[in-house]
Amino acid sequence: MTWEVIARQDWSVTVETRSAKVLLGLLVSVVLLAGYIYPIAAPEPITTARFSSFAMGGLTLTVPFVGMLLSYGAVVDERESGSILLSLSLPHSRRDVVLGKFLSRTGLVTAATAGSMLVAGALVVYPFGELVLGRFLVFLGLTVLFVVVWCGLGLAVSLAAATRRRALVLGFGLVFLFVIIWEAVVDALTIGLNAAGIVDGELPETVQFLVGLEPSLVFERATTGFVLPGESVAGPWYLGEWVALGVLVCWVVGPLGLAFLRFDGSDLS
Amino acid sequence: MVAIDADAVSKRYGTETALDRVDLEVKEGETFGFLGPNGAGKSTFINVLLDFVTPSQGDVEIFGHDCQREGVAARDRIGVLPEGYSVFERLTGRQHIEYAIRSKDADDDPIDVLDRVGIREAADRKATGYSKGMAQRLVLGMALVGQPDLLILDEPSTGLDPNGAAEMRQILREENERGATIFFSSHILEQVEAVCDRVGILQNGELVAVDTIEGLRQSMGGGTKLVITVDGLENGTLETIRGVEGVETAVNGDESSNGDPTIEVTCTNDAKMDVVVELHGAGVDVVNFRTEEASLEDMFIEYTGSRR
Repeated sequence: MTWEVIARQDWSVTVETRSAKVLLGLLVSVVLLAGYIYPIAAPEPITTARFSSFAMGGLTLTVPFVGMLLSYGAVVDERESGSILLSLSLPHSRRDVVLGKFLSRTGLVTAATAGSMLVAGALVVYPFGELVLGRFLVFLGLTVLFVVVWCGLGLAVSLAAATRRRALVLGFGLVFLFVIIWEAVVDALTIGLNAAGIVDGELPETVQFLVGLEPSLVFERATTGFVLPGESVAGPWYLGEWVALGVLVCWVVGPLGLAFLRFDGSDLS
Repeated sequence: MVAIDADAVSKRYGTETALDRVDLEVKEGETFGFLGPNGAGKSTFINVLLDFVTPSQGDVEIFGHDCQREGVAARDRIGVLPEGYSVFERLTGRQHIEYAIRSKDADDDPIDVLDRVGIREAADRKATGYSKGMAQRLVLGMALVGQPDLLILDEPSTGLDPNGAAEMRQILREENERGATIFFSSHILEQVEAVCDRVGILQNGELVAVDTIEGLRQSMGGGTKLVITVDGLENGTLETIRGVEGVETAVNGDESSNGDPTIEVTCTNDAKMDVVVELHGAGVDVVNFRTEEASLEDMFIEYTGSRR
């Protein structure tokens, strides 16, 4: 079990890079800005619980980009250059290397997110807001999970691709699909099915579940259900917050697991 | 105990066969040279040892640990200089050594290690700025960390000047004297000849010979070649020489520079003087006389049928 050595090494090197500083700075700025603007712009009551729905927009836009860009090169860079051979010549297993990279990259983004969220929470509470500690901490936890999902997807891309270029294309494809065009595709699907007379108004609930598997939508559903006061997720149980939480966990475990199996079985030179 | 134990290891890429049923046993404490032309499969074999590559068939163990199923245990007591690596970006030479020390849970002093491989003065420079030779020294340093029981080195002298190659050999000797087993590949024969107890010759993925250098010489017919320049050659002289005990072949050689005929004789070392005495007895004057020891190069060409 030598993942700790890998994680420390990767953390100290990554944190020094300019791209990491820029990306993490962007994430921190977005969160702090949300914490600054929310008490001014949003209607009463100002609480840390209701802040979650305000911050959601910025988070679902920023976290995927930052998580993906900070992680997609984690393994494939060293694989392409050949320096991973030096690590794997030492008594590290491939699992140790991947686990170390995963902890380092998710740790960096998590630290930036959690730190800035705490400051943003303070901005919300002071001077007019109300602290709803429990719900705020739950929101913090869900946000960290969302961060881990996207860092995990980035690392999965890094494991599955044999070259940096392919990893970049694959990673950007995922971000583009989920963050930029997913909503438009779902809207188009709704309009199309309505026009064809197959559905009337909203999509059937099972289809809602399927199109709602996209990480940001799941994150939103979980936050709505767990954090927002007086709101519950309407609809059948599988559109509820607990299932959403489970789906988020699957987004971490599934892609990483599959990509690791592919990486573990491939020849490195 | 056996350091490396390969059992019918094969590796195919599509229809290409990189390794063909390689059986190899490297004993603890020996220095083993893995020889073959470029593309013969040396690196593929070493990559199987390190689990960079999974063999299509067969298995291989290091100190009794299967290299694929128990890779970490297999790599626990070894030092490696792989092929096709690059140094880590953004790390200095010293940080490379420190990384190896932490990974192996060793307690070496990084500066001592860098000093030993001769790049102490570059300790705090980024290793990406190193020359190929310095990078080889650095990675050799990483390999030496923790006093490994086995060193696996893939073309260790790549990028080194003759001086550097000599220093490398000196370090290998020291490590071997300390008790480490050395396994290294090379396509440069002199290096293998200089330090190895035993040699394996790989050709097109097949291990065509494994023996001591002395043994390889013997199997090539004594190994000593005499080139004798005589004042004149009579009928029957060659037959006379062939009759001497220990002589394998005796043939007419090229004429010497001043037109005298020469005889080329291959024989055991002990038979050399007998040949000269026999010629003298037959009334043939020996004008010139030299011996050529069959070099590893000759054997190499003999075995692989190719020049490097």
